[in-house]
Amino acid sequence: MSESGFSIKKLLKQLAIFFAILGPGIITGSVDNDAGGITTYSVAGAIYGYGLIWTLIPSFVVLLIIQEMNARMGIVTGKGLADLIRENAGVKVTFFIFIGLLFADIGNTTTEFAGVAGSMEVFGISKYISVPVAAFMVWILVVKGNYKIAERIFLIFSVSLLTYVISAMMGKPHWAEIGSSIIHPRMDVSTKGIAMVIGIIGTTIAPWMQFYMQSSVIEKGLKMKNYTYTLIDIVVGCVATVVVAFFIIVACASTLHVNGIQIGEAKDAALALKPLAGNLASQVFAFGLFIASIFSATILPLATAFYVCEAFGFEAGIDKKWNDAKEFYTLYTGILVVAAIIILLPNAPLIQISLWSQVLNGLLLPVVLVCMIILVNNKKIMGEHVNKPITNFIGWTAIVILIGLSITLLILPFFKR
Amino acid sequence: MTSLTTFYLSGIIGKVAFGADGDAIGTIKDLLLNTMPSGNSDPNQQLVTGVRLKIQKEIRFYSFKSFIVTKAREVLNVTCTALVELGAEEINNGLLLVENILDKQIVDMNGRKLVRVNDVRLAMLPTGTFAIAVDIGIEGLLRRIGIASPIKRILSIFKINIPAKFILWDDVQAIDHSNLNIRLTKSYAKLHTLHPSDIADILEDMGKKSSMSVFASLDEEQAADVLEELETDAQIHILENLPVNKAADVLEKMPADEVADILDELGDEKAEILLKEMDRESSQEVRELLEYDDDRVGSIMTTDFLSFSSTTTVAEVLVELRAQKPESAELYNMFVVESNDELIGTFNLRDLVVSEPNVNVSNLMKSGPVYLFDEQKVGAIARIVSKYNLLAVPVVDQNYQLQGMVVIDDVIEDLIRKRRTNKR
Repeated sequence: MSESGFSIKKLLKQLAIFFAILGPGIITGSVDNDAGGITTYSVAGAIYGYGLIWTLIPSFVVLLIIQEMNARMGIVTGKGLADLIRENAGVKVTFFIFIGLLFADIGNTTTEFAGVAGSMEVFGISKYISVPVAAFMVWILVVKGNYKIAERIFLIFSVSLLTYVISAMMGKPHWAEIGSSIIHPRMDVSTKGIAMVIGIIGTTIAPWMQFYMQSSVIEKGLKMKNYTYTLIDIVVGCVATVVVAFFIIVACASTLHVNGIQIGEAKDAALALKPLAGNLASQVFAFGLFIASIFSATILPLATAFYVCEAFGFEAGIDKKWNDAKEFYTLYTGILVVAAIIILLPNAPLIQISLWSQVLNGLLLPVVLVCMIILVNNKKIMGEHVNKPITNFIGWTAIVILIGLSITLLILPFFKR
Repeated sequence: MTSLTTFYLSGIIGKVAFGADGDAIGTIKDLLLNTMPSGNSDPNQQLVTGVRLKIQKEIRFYSFKSFIVTKAREVLNVTCTALVELGAEEINNGLLLVENILDKQIVDMNGRKLVRVNDVRLAMLPTGTFAIAVDIGIEGLLRRIGIASPIKRILSIFKINIPAKFILWDDVQAIDHSNLNIRLTKSYAKLHTLHPSDIADILEDMGKKSSMSVFASLDEEQAADVLEELETDAQIHILENLPVNKAADVLEKMPADEVADILDELGDEKAEILLKEMDRESSQEVRELLEYDDDRVGSIMTTDFLSFSSTTTVAEVLVELRAQKPESAELYNMFVVESNDELIGTFNLRDLVVSEPNVNVSNLMKSGPVYLFDEQKVGAIARIVSKYNLLAVPVVDQNYQLQGMVVIDDVIEDLIRKRRTNKR
């Protein structure tokens, strides 16, 4: 009797610890399904049906491995990834990585605002109202408000991403077909097909996430003794990412693809769902898109400003005053303003911007991953916590495949001619 | 050799050193810095003592003495006259510029991040090569990327200058943040040239565990100065972790009033152990102070003061001062007493300096001095200090015998501490 009481107590205590350190993995996972991600998954579902669902499995494995490395590096060194890259790779590499990331992230933030604009248009609100209001709210929240509370609210809201499950179910998916497409992966070797696969992997494993993940682990002050909980946190985050991605693809595949409807952005998916799966499914889809966009529009510029400052040694952090971290806040404000203005420009080349930031991300990802894997295997930095052979094997395989896919994508057009 | 060549670390790293006969010897990978204690008065100089040289596949340390750096049309040339390997001790005591300094985060006294080290400016003088300053400007950043000169050329058309920013080496502390345990790497001596309160700031930042190793490396005088400047929590932590005999030695070097304050916080048992370990004279003074209630003048007065009999001459006082080398606070106000220690006058350093050597102190002192009673409430001090504009006020007992003095620094410290406790 007393023994069982004790074990319940122990369980409660463990749960308490888990909830206290909960966050980095789950938040990163949720931000992962941002406007860009939702767009990519919807388009993939609409064009290829269930055909590309299998890509989520290797994406999941790689995502898990990478985030685990980030968490481990953060815990062991107490330093951000940007810190480590600057200190170990020197100025040149750092400079080019971060200039690239800065541009890619301005592009990504633009995509997030496009998500805000698009989702609100489904509810009949003009982008000239929704975008400035959203940008201002996001800015105030970080500069003047209490970000910690906001983060919790976002976390609760991110549960609403599971609404995609509802949207998917309303489309009455063919489970047998889904199963067989996972068991027998196929790939269409064409520029479009490879671009789609890179797109899915690239949006699931965005370079900026690695920096964000590591920094939030440090901010949480996690220690090696919390490692198991951290790992659970990461697994939950990665599972959430992939599950949401799965249902978005399924929702679009079982409705749009079956009816041969082609779409260009996530908003189209929401609108197209209306006649096929009902008004509610459409609005649920749009609401999920809105939450995801605004969450990412907050965190992405924040993370970008943070790691750029980290790399060049400027004070950064939302707990600092404006005057103590001028560079940080200027950068943050700048990214928000530029992104919001681009969206509001009439005839802005949104698709090009989104495409080019995806390409930049795709080019930067292998560079960042190579830096990471070199750092995490450096005994001077990591001590006994260097990578195990299996992690290295998966990591390097992923890098080689990613580089291979990128090169194929670049040279394929020349062979077609 | 020209009298002075200045160059950047980024300019010399990766350069091939050539022998006197013009043959390539090896590639420069890093420079080793050692602190040169150059007399007591000068600040310590940072001398480049060694070079990490890659010769074919092997990387070794050699003495930098036989290396000469020259600059011809903005291009650096490194010549080496002899290869002398460095001993392990010198390597271990040194600081590697690329490994330990370059690209590292610069943090100010309060832990605020400033910027990273973009480059290091060095100068070759006839006496050796020294690290002069740390480059933290945009120019340094561009130089490292390798696009400084083209960009400068373009901007010069528009008459725009890229700002160059440096921090003098004297102000730079090398702290090793690697692998979470923040510790001072080398040149503890560098640390000593700072004002004790600066060191105290760093120590407090460095976390408790690592501060012990720094503290242990200081001699008792320095340790006493640093301990005095620390916050109460840190003082207690250090005293609890220091071996009793070392702690007692440090406390002996501190003013009795400060010791009494610390011991008051430390708890009776530990305080008694420390008092027993201290020499009789010091511990007696502390015990007397400990007897005063917290709100009495006696509890914050110091018993370190200078008093002379009225017949002492200025020359004799000066001889005494030279022999005793008192703390500067003791010189704020000096006292003249009767044979029974009764206070009859005060004088300060100025009075002393402007008087002839053969004058008696009774002729230069201010008689009828302002004083406090040891059993008076602490509140009275502020009134007297501000009214008479004093830096130190003598404290007497009810028989007007001199017991100690209250120094304005201690009063302010006390006020701040009280305000803080009230806030909590």
